Amino acid sequence: MRLDDTPARGRAAMRPSGTASRDTLGSALLLMAPALALYAVFTLLPVALTFWLSFSQSAGFNTGAQFTGLDNYRKAAADPIVWQSLRHTFLWLAYHVVLAGGLGLALALAIARLGRSGVFFRTAFFLPHLVSLAVVGVIWANIYDPFFGLLNTALTGLGLGAYTQGWLSEPVLVLFSVNVASSWQGFGLYMLLFIAGLQNIDPALYDAAEVDGANGFQKLIHVTLPGLSEVMTFVVSLAMINGLKGFATVFVMTNGGPFYQSELITTYIYRLAFQAQNHGQAAVLCILLSLLAIAITIVFNRWRARLAR
Amino acid sequence: MFKQLVRTAALAIVIAASSAAGAQTLRMWGPEQITEPLIAELWNGIKAEFEAANPGAKVEFIPPTGTISNGAVQAAIQSGVGPDVILTNSGIGRIAVVRNAKQVLPLTGEYEKRGWKDNIYPWLYSELQRQFGGEIYEVPDGLDALGIWYHKDMFAERGWKIPASWTEFAALMKAMQTAGVQPLAIGPRTTGSAGHLFGSLLQAASGREAIGKALRGELAWDDRTIVAGAVRLRELVEADYIQKRMAGLDLEGASRLWFSKRAAMFVAGPWFTANARKAGYDLANAGFAAMPSDIPGETIPTGGVGWSWLVPVNSKQPELALKWIDFVLSDAVMRKRAQHSASTMIYPRELKGIEPATPVLKEIFAVAAGGVGYNPSVYLPGPVLDTYFQVIQGLISAQLSGEEGMKQIQAKMSEAK
Amino acid sequence: MNRRNREWPIALALAPVLVLVLAPFAWLMVSSLKTEAEIGQGAPFQWPADLMWRNYADAWRIGGFGELIGNSLMNLAGVVALTLATCAPAGYALAKMRFPGREWLFYIFIFGLTIPIQAIIIPLYQVLFGLRLIDTLTGIVLAQVSNGIPFGIFLMRSFFISVPDELVEAGKIDGASHVQILTRIFLPISLPAVQALIVISALSTWNDFFLPLVVLISPDIQTLPLGLVRFAGTYASEYRLVFSGTVISFLPIILLYILTQRRFTEGLTQGAIKG
Repeated sequence: MRLDDTPARGRAAMRPSGTASRDTLGSALLLMAPALALYAVFTLLPVALTFWLSFSQSAGFNTGAQFTGLDNYRKAAADPIVWQSLRHTFLWLAYHVVLAGGLGLALALAIARLGRSGVFFRTAFFLPHLVSLAVVGVIWANIYDPFFGLLNTALTGLGLGAYTQGWLSEPVLVLFSVNVASSWQGFGLYMLLFIAGLQNIDPALYDAAEVDGANGFQKLIHVTLPGLSEVMTFVVSLAMINGLKGFATVFVMTNGGPFYQSELITTYIYRLAFQAQNHGQAAVLCILLSLLAIAITIVFNRWRARLAR
Repeated sequence: MFKQLVRTAALAIVIAASSAAGAQTLRMWGPEQITEPLIAELWNGIKAEFEAANPGAKVEFIPPTGTISNGAVQAAIQSGVGPDVILTNSGIGRIAVVRNAKQVLPLTGEYEKRGWKDNIYPWLYSELQRQFGGEIYEVPDGLDALGIWYHKDMFAERGWKIPASWTEFAALMKAMQTAGVQPLAIGPRTTGSAGHLFGSLLQAASGREAIGKALRGELAWDDRTIVAGAVRLRELVEADYIQKRMAGLDLEGASRLWFSKRAAMFVAGPWFTANARKAGYDLANAGFAAMPSDIPGETIPTGGVGWSWLVPVNSKQPELALKWIDFVLSDAVMRKRAQHSASTMIYPRELKGIEPATPVLKEIFAVAAGGVGYNPSVYLPGPVLDTYFQVIQGLISAQLSGEEGMKQIQAKMSEAK
Repeated sequence: MNRRNREWPIALALAPVLVLVLAPFAWLMVSSLKTEAEIGQGAPFQWPADLMWRNYADAWRIGGFGELIGNSLMNLAGVVALTLATCAPAGYALAKMRFPGREWLFYIFIFGLTIPIQAIIIPLYQVLFGLRLIDTLTGIVLAQVSNGIPFGIFLMRSFFISVPDELVEAGKIDGASHVQILTRIFLPISLPAVQALIVISALSTWNDFFLPLVVLISPDIQTLPLGLVRFAGTYASEYRLVFSGTVISFLPIILLYILTQRRFTEGLTQGAIKG
């Protein structure tokens, strides 16, 4: 399936055809009933309830909730950790796109030029992606241990002891360090997507460029990257949405610490909802998270539409 | 008074309703280190005796997946398939969280009815009564006493001794550093452990009374008298007696440094014997001393109620749970636990003539006999605890000054009132 | 021609990168065969004196990995089956049936694609609790399937749209109902889409952490990633167990991947591109 085929066919299918008979809503609902039922109860209903929760206050699951209006929103706006976690979330997205997306792109560009050995490399580089993010957290927490972990002991062993750091304790480094672990797990999928995208670029374009006397670098800039633009947009938006869902690695490695230096919106939600039992304020953050996700999706859909033209 | 009557009546009804059930299984959350063979042996023995004394009853241990601080207990109670009785880290701060979420039963009446109030230290009983305006939600199982664990051989070899004053202590740490040994190890990612070190420093710097006042809200946390402890922690970090890098470590990562003797001292309590055994450390080599203080009479361990029994509101065996608590509080069981080599804590009442099997425990009991201070982790109100632990991490990672940290804690304290 | 000659330098340049990327695995596996004392020495390049395969046996036994893997397998089976059962018919209806409100229903489903699970977790927990589904396999399967429905429907719908309408017409002329058209005509030719959906839901379910963290409380029903994190937390002082337990937790899926490599990769790429 070529990437460029689908939109055209999709559009054609959505145009009502003259000879097709119409179906009833009822018969369609029959087929959609299972999906709709599950989705309504376990996704739509919670969305609505989160909204309501953000306007109420309760001390826990057993206690009643009272309507408190914009109280929670006011408190959230005044809470410095909310802003900090928001800032960290943006940073996290940026790190993820650059590290995971960048590595995926670089490796794809290299692997696409290989023959049989390309399959080997592609398989091998994909391995980290198979590990659960929580398990990745356990592995990398041990790698980053300042006294016994792989990173610092390897640096010391290579005579680079001066470069050892408190990877998970240094405020400037901690978010980045955790993200490296998360990106290590994430880049595999993006690499595959880029490889598929590269395979879809018409080889004739490369030949034409060579005829024009272009060298390797120029081919990259003028043929490869433009040919990848749609995939790149897709990967960036996917990386951002995945980044927004980031939770497991931070939770396992630092639990948002030290002193909230790696607190993301998602980890703060968990802290508020399940440790402090402050559901109203957690719900405000849930709304914030959803708004961010919706905004990113809209922006990228518009961008992709513009590219497709 | 009326509220108490209503509550006792409610408890009675719940108990009556559930006693109607037949063969009863009591699901107990805990004990903490049940995976340790020695501890398992001890508790399986207690379980067997209880089952023998209560035909038809069975006890089932649920290995804890966490504490109240990380939400595991609340999740277990909330799930509706959880335990019938719980043994977990307590203290007013933690108990407040589950009490406010209405997850545990009030046990005030039982203290009278079953004579528990005579079965624990009188000062402990008054302490508990003070916490929630007369209502008590926990039954103390063990007290904690936190101080400095050190290596006897290392100290003997170098002629070191834990001094009685802070000034000498600072000099000792300097000497350790010069000798190429890390003076202190700490793993603040495990919140309890962070509190042990910090609580000891606060205690040593300000004294029992001042800390007690601060915990009751009578003294501000950013008051000059209290800030000293936080400032000292920063000083330890600045001098590299505690490395900034330790901010990312948890209890195990830090104790690894101590067990491998890369660090000279570690702040912990009697429960550390279990950790030591797991790590293969020779407990005969462990020494214990209280955190030195310049204030006379304040070189004492900090501590408080370490672990307590709780009964969840949705316990399916409340009557059996109370019987179990009775049983554990009995003289026979308590003495047996105190004399077992897996004993890991100080008992909630005086036990005469008990010789703990492990030498370092004897030292701890001796040191604690002189009095124990208030460990803030145990006494702080629930909403303040998270900030308290985060501030400690902030101090160790050198992000906050002592004053700033205490200000944050005070801000949360004023909110909590 | 040019490209073939230049393959060797590229492969040579990639090799150190591969070493770096796979270093964590290598270190983990070597360390998992050390004794506790050897681990405590913190010498990463040191080979263990004896290969302590015992660590794996101990971790397996103490951590109850057999049970954890069993739970994960049941979890996975439930999710994959239910996802296919819900998304295939719905995707077909949205792709091939013409009915009032079709576009609106589609957008309602797509809305779920943007909402991260953490954003709805509190009421979701309350709903599950109200239905007495907390700490049950059923509960987590339902929650995970619901979370995957937007993507699953999008995938199946995209695929079905690209199938010619004529097949539907032909079926109708033969007097078949939509259900019959779906099961007898469309599904048999949907292997790529079904494969993609299976691979994607299987992988994400097997590795899921957040929902199990919130929904599965008792140790005896927990799934693999959650079980490993708890295990690592409980036995944190015995690093030999933590390391070997960690290897146990990802080895099955890595082996499976190496064996079915192409299907896996195809499935993921197809799925992601369609999505």
